[in-house]
Amino acid sequence: MPDFEPKIVAFVCNWCTYAGADLTGTSRMKYSPQVSIIRFPCTGRIDFMLLLKAFASGADGIIVSGCHPNDCHYSSGNFHARRRWIIFRGLLDFLGIDVRRVQFSWYGRWGRSRATSACAAWA
Amino acid sequence: MNALREKARELLAAKTVQVVIGYGRGSGGSARAVFMRAPAQAAELIFDATCLQNLAVYLMKPEVRKLGKAALVATPAALRTILQLAAENQVADNSLLALAPVGEDIMPLATFAAIEAHVAAADHDLSAAEGAELGKFAAMGLEERRRFWEEQFSRCLKCYACRAACPLCYCTRCTVECNQPQWIPVPAHDLGNLEWNVMRAMHLAGRCVNCGDCSRACPVGIPLYLLNQKLISDVSSVFQARSGMAARSDNAMSTFKPNDPEDFIR
Amino acid sequence: MARIGVFICHCGENISATVDVGKVAEAAARIPGVAHSVDYKYMCSDPGQQMVQNAIREKNLTGVVVAACSPRMHEPTFRRACAAAGLNPFLCEMANIREHCSWVHEKGDATTEKAIDIVRTLVAKVKKNKALQPIKVPVTKVAMVIGGGIAGIQASLDIANAGHRVILVEREPSIGGHMSQLSETFPTLDCSQCILTPRMVEVAQHANITLHTYSELESLEGFIGNFKARIRKKARSLDEKLCTGCGLCAQKCPTRRIASEFDAGLGLRPAIYVPFPQAVPNKPVIDREHCTYYLKGKCRLCEKVCPTQAIRFDQEDEIVEVDVGAVVLATGFDIKHSDFFPEYGYGKHKDVIDGLQFERLASASGPTLGEMRRPSDGKVPETVVFVACAGSRDPAKGIEYCSKICCMYTAKHAMLYKHKVHHGKPYVFYMDIRAGGKMYEEFVRRAMEEDGVQYVRGRVSRIFERNGKLVVKGADTLLGARPMEIEADMVVLATAGVAQAGAEELAQKLHVSYDAHKFYAEAHPKLRPVETNTAGIFLAGACQAPKDIPESVAQASGAAAKVAALFSQAELVREPLIAVVDRQAPPLYSSCVGCFLCQSACPYQAIEKEEIRGRDGQLLKTVAKVNPGLCQGCGTCVAFCRTKSIDIQGFSHEQVHAEVLALLNRGDRDA
Repeated sequence: MPDFEPKIVAFVCNWCTYAGADLTGTSRMKYSPQVSIIRFPCTGRIDFMLLLKAFASGADGIIVSGCHPNDCHYSSGNFHARRRWIIFRGLLDFLGIDVRRVQFSWYGRWGRSRATSACAAWA
Repeated sequence: MNALREKARELLAAKTVQVVIGYGRGSGGSARAVFMRAPAQAAELIFDATCLQNLAVYLMKPEVRKLGKAALVATPAALRTILQLAAENQVADNSLLALAPVGEDIMPLATFAAIEAHVAAADHDLSAAEGAELGKFAAMGLEERRRFWEEQFSRCLKCYACRAACPLCYCTRCTVECNQPQWIPVPAHDLGNLEWNVMRAMHLAGRCVNCGDCSRACPVGIPLYLLNQKLISDVSSVFQARSGMAARSDNAMSTFKPNDPEDFIR
Repeated sequence: MARIGVFICHCGENISATVDVGKVAEAAARIPGVAHSVDYKYMCSDPGQQMVQNAIREKNLTGVVVAACSPRMHEPTFRRACAAAGLNPFLCEMANIREHCSWVHEKGDATTEKAIDIVRTLVAKVKKNKALQPIKVPVTKVAMVIGGGIAGIQASLDIANAGHRVILVEREPSIGGHMSQLSETFPTLDCSQCILTPRMVEVAQHANITLHTYSELESLEGFIGNFKARIRKKARSLDEKLCTGCGLCAQKCPTRRIASEFDAGLGLRPAIYVPFPQAVPNKPVIDREHCTYYLKGKCRLCEKVCPTQAIRFDQEDEIVEVDVGAVVLATGFDIKHSDFFPEYGYGKHKDVIDGLQFERLASASGPTLGEMRRPSDGKVPETVVFVACAGSRDPAKGIEYCSKICCMYTAKHAMLYKHKVHHGKPYVFYMDIRAGGKMYEEFVRRAMEEDGVQYVRGRVSRIFERNGKLVVKGADTLLGARPMEIEADMVVLATAGVAQAGAEELAQKLHVSYDAHKFYAEAHPKLRPVETNTAGIFLAGACQAPKDIPESVAQASGAAAKVAALFSQAELVREPLIAVVDRQAPPLYSSCVGCFLCQSACPYQAIEKEEIRGRDGQLLKTVAKVNPGLCQGCGTCVAFCRTKSIDIQGFSHEQVHAEVLALLNRGDRDA
């Protein structure tokens, strides 16, 4: 294991991924303490400026995660977010920023496998 | 050019409009924007290959708005700007007259419908050269691209000339001026410069009409048009959308399709 | 200056086993702005809550961070505790150091460090929190139910029985919907009319229900609790108050050969008619498209025979305006007709009928008075083929979904046929049999085993006429795709259930979303199945997706319960976690530039235009305004707004920005 411990910020929606992360806790699955979570009402609320701000403030990696398409608590916030991500990701890549540093996910099985593989990808 | 001058004189004499916004000869053979308010001034108008500026930018300036109804010498990009401004509720139909140069002639377009028809007849795809330049970037390695932009942005002075020149950067209070919270750091440094330039490009996604005035305005020569063209290309290929084609249209970024691609989402 | 109190919970050992809570409390005390920091074994216990309340009072706290379990668990608990001590509840935040920290990491410094990070993040957030007041919206305690089929009837009765007024709007001249057309119902084979008509009468007689039949919604404006509906009462050409429903007009009407909608085109009706004998209301309507007077200018026979002079030829449509607090959509479904199927002759064979037509043939009130006689020549069919999945589950026909009710009603049809024609031979072609439901599988088994219905697994490729017989060509896929040919006397297609005509138009009037097949979309496919995305508008029955009667009734009662819950309060009190557009000093007024790109991003149509005017009434600026009744607080507009003019309370720009910086700014941890 390298000495470098990437600092990862997870921007998550309240309804699927935050609740999922709670469930991960309830089921005592383990992941790296380098991953911290910030709660939002919906992925639609997650401003790309905050992702930039996180990078500018020293985050090594970012996770953005919310409800699956059609499962959004607000019906379409995640669809709007997805459009924004597509464009934002394309722009970051164009600027030479490794887009693997921002991982987008629909909440599925948050937990050890996801978080640790995410850490490994940045380590 | 004569047709243009004649038209401008006629419009001002008949008081159909209060001001004609066009191009005049500036220093060193360049073109500059001129604001004609009397028929006699019309003789100063020019239109040639040096007339590149998107004059629609002035439609959003309060000091120009105060002058009254305007006629505007409008390049294809300016026409699309008018339609995009209309889609964003910034200009009303029949409130301005676009003068579109067609060869030696001049075509007055008084309504959004007329502008739409004129715009629809032309090709607005990125040119082969523009496409090739984007292709060159795509072919570069990630690191090479990063170094390229790092060098470019390191020269950014945060003078915001790009913003002033952009006809779609019309917000009265830009996020840059927002200090609670301070989204963009005030001093010019690498990280803040990156944030500013990403924000500028993102805010133009689905809106930019590729007039190129941001790059022309940049005093340190950052090729900002590349960022815009990259997003134009993505919006067009992924969402099949193009800005400035209709006066009533939803923005590509504020709408969605349930089947938008998501191969990158895990 | 902020005076934040931080309260760190051990949660027994749930947190303290892996997190050094004492160290967290010490670190928290050093965060600028923290005036009080303690740890305690059980913060959510009474003594724990008391500690929070005492500290608020004694230390004059301006904000509280409880570092404990998930806010989804105890945020309401601690917010209530703060409110009781006089601190605005929205100045309390929870730092989740249990689910997101102590439970998912091993004991160690890194885990304690993370807990400190989380606390610091939430302290930074709470410093930017603002005292918020709950939003109160008045509620008009009147419900409008659109559609008077079984779902609309059930919803109306349930809401009315809960003591609230109901306005029931039905497009047809009578309520009853498709259920009134059915002969018997599965899986009990009890008579549909016998169980439905008492409910219809109850609706008509209920003191709390106002019935508008032959009426359609013209427009709906407003928001939850405060809708304004305009209802178009189409002209019946009749004074309903005078009409006694004696039926003389219909008996004497000379125009008698109009295909009856109620009998699915198999029976005939006059131009002035009551759809069926048990109609509610039992008042006729003149079909102006067929009435001789409207077509040729003379006749007026009905007017002459009417003993109460109730006929009104010059009657015009009437618009009724009503204030309602909630809407239940129960507009039901329709079916594809046999003309949808080129392979089965585009409806040109009279004896290829759809399921609703079979219901009428089997019904004692139907055109054959319940005798099983085929439409073409009235002969008793000796062999009948039932085709399930006619159109359904067929992407080539544009209908990918399962219509859900066909397996069951096809089994019922085959049984009814067999019960009426004992020597008859029923065949059923099917793809799969989907008989999930109480007593459903047993019912299908009974059709096969007791009534001898022949089930053939395979699809019918073609139907054509030969020597007076309908030749049904198909394949039996359970016998190696053996080709089959049956000479039938009648064929019944279990055609796909589809959305009602006009479903899309109505959805647009109401601003509710719908799927690709024009079925109305529920707010959440699992957890909010009776709500739409528009607050205050609920769904019942087959307008949401094909459903059978018990499901429609259950959903209708669910929708009614939602309406009753909404009406149980004098005011609608909502958490103020909604978006707001900023206000600035003149000459800016608001940083909003009025581009209104946010409008299409809002899933709830909550963004309106607001005109800011000067004292002289001059228009200064048009800006966006968020309707607090409609906004649900997703914040999609907030992230979309270029000028950051829209903000969302509880997750504001300042709050989340401070969180990101605090989480990553590790430099001041020990400061």
